[in-house]
Amino acid sequence: MSTTMDRTASSRPVTTATETAGVLDGAAAAFGMSATIAILFNTLLAWVKDAYDPLNSFMASLTGHHWRTHGIVDVVVFVALGYLFMHRAFRMNGMKLAALLAGAVIAGGGGLALWFVLV
Amino acid sequence: MSDIILFAHPTFGVLGILAAVWVFVEALNASEANQTRIRYAALAVTICIVLAWVLGGYWYTVYYAPEKAIILKGPWPWAHNFMMETKEHLFFIPLILALYLPIVAAKRLAMNKAARMMVMVVATFVVLNGLAIEGAGAIINYGVKVAFVHTGTKGAE
Repeated sequence: MSTTMDRTASSRPVTTATETAGVLDGAAAAFGMSATIAILFNTLLAWVKDAYDPLNSFMASLTGHHWRTHGIVDVVVFVALGYLFMHRAFRMNGMKLAALLAGAVIAGGGGLALWFVLV
Repeated sequence: MSDIILFAHPTFGVLGILAAVWVFVEALNASEANQTRIRYAALAVTICIVLAWVLGGYWYTVYYAPEKAIILKGPWPWAHNFMMETKEHLFFIPLILALYLPIVAAKRLAMNKAARMMVMVVATFVVLNGLAIEGAGAIINYGVKVAFVHTGTKGAE
């Protein structure tokens, strides 16, 4: 996967093909994609539970408060998807993944603000 | 005890924001020499934001209900209906970013332009979201104050 491009006689670090090609791999790529999805999932879950009371009540019944459950579910989604993507050796152009994550943060945050303005 | 938790929550939030600024600057000047420092700074972001989550979450779910009732009876009900509702869910975005930051910061940023860019993007959004959330917290607090002023509670002004 990561091939050696250059090795000097000294102990200077070696640059890999993956690094020079701008590709993110391993946990950084896997959890980058899972963070993107988890952020969008967070907004979606906020919309759905706010619009559908039985879900809100169900979430509250699990931990004593819907917000506690919401946070735990978000973290579980982030970790589970991250491990899944890592297991599948997910890799992606780092700039594209960063843009995707930035887009998710803007859409997710904007979506939350817009929802609570309108509702 | 309630007040200590209430003040510790934004304090750790601010410390997390400062640590994210630190990560951004270190990543901007990434070299082999500061790689370890970047990893520690990224870990500091995670620890501070997680502590802000746990402390804020405890206070919100245990102590907030009476303040919510006060805000809703006051002249700024939107301090809860919009600000708190948005803030409580928006918080999970920097939380996820803060959990992710040390993972991508573990890459050799001096050699890996893509990882460096990702670290800077994540740190930037922790800062921007963090500032928005801190601001929202101040407005929610003011929502309680204006409610007391509105009802003529002594000392509120």
